[in-house]
Amino acid sequence: MQLNSGASGSDLHSEINVTPLVDVVLVLLIIFMVVVPLLLQGYDVNIARTSADAVPAQAEESQVILTIVPTDCRILEPPPGEGLPADCRVTLADREIPAADLPARVAEILGGRPADKRVLFLAADNRLNYEGVLRIVDLAKSKVDDLTIEFITTD
Amino acid sequence: MRLGEPARLQAVINVTPLVDVVLVLLIIFMVMAPTLSKGPDVDLPNTKKPREQGDERTRILVTIDQAGGLWIEDQPVAAERFGESLRAAAGDDPDLKVVIRGDARLRLGEVRQAMLVIEQAGFHGVGLIAKRAGAKAQGD
Repeated sequence: MQLNSGASGSDLHSEINVTPLVDVVLVLLIIFMVVVPLLLQGYDVNIARTSADAVPAQAEESQVILTIVPTDCRILEPPPGEGLPADCRVTLADREIPAADLPARVAEILGGRPADKRVLFLAADNRLNYEGVLRIVDLAKSKVDDLTIEFITTD
Repeated sequence: MRLGEPARLQAVINVTPLVDVVLVLLIIFMVMAPTLSKGPDVDLPNTKKPREQGDERTRILVTIDQAGGLWIEDQPVAAERFGESLRAAAGDDPDLKVVIRGDARLRLGEVRQAMLVIEQAGFHGVGLIAKRAGAKAQGD
């Protein structure tokens, strides 16, 4: 009987006290729920201030210009789904390519340059949809992480 | 004595459910507060891989709503007063960065116009805010 009561005593102690664990987990939950919505996600871009400094401090032949016009890429309305229209074509460094090839072409042309020379000039038509243009910016940046995007005017 | 002892034991209130309820209320308010105060709801563009743009408390948050209306933080601003309002919002700190929360249905020209005014107000570069495709983000 004494052995039995000893066994039942150790039975009581064998349960883990979960209260501190729950407290810690709840506090972690609070921290993450507060921090996550405050973090912003997006793309850094530059824009030329005046037409005078639209001429960048770079030799003209080494400028890489990405041109988007509504006749080649129909994104006048927000593109449905998550990607771009399948027939969307853009002009990168004077060559017309499908938008899907953009990550590889940008990496090929700009990936080998020193980080401060990795500048992509973006000439996008003002009538284009903002979301569609951001998706093209996303594609251009997807393989060259520290790419500088410089908006230039088209008119 | 034997009758008194159980009564003394029961006199302690079990605070665990109380603490649970208070913590849940705290979570609810902490989550709601930032989304309530920051400007109008916009439908942010969906993209695949947006980069971290830091904490919104260290940025000047410019919102462009679906109709093209401009907001700085949670205040609507007239287009002709946008530049000076930005400089006022920046105060003494010229290194503050401006981020634009633009509605997905806008035309690029409307966003470009705001970017030009931001550059002319003396800020270099802007962040264009997007949300990761498939994720629910603030402003929904």
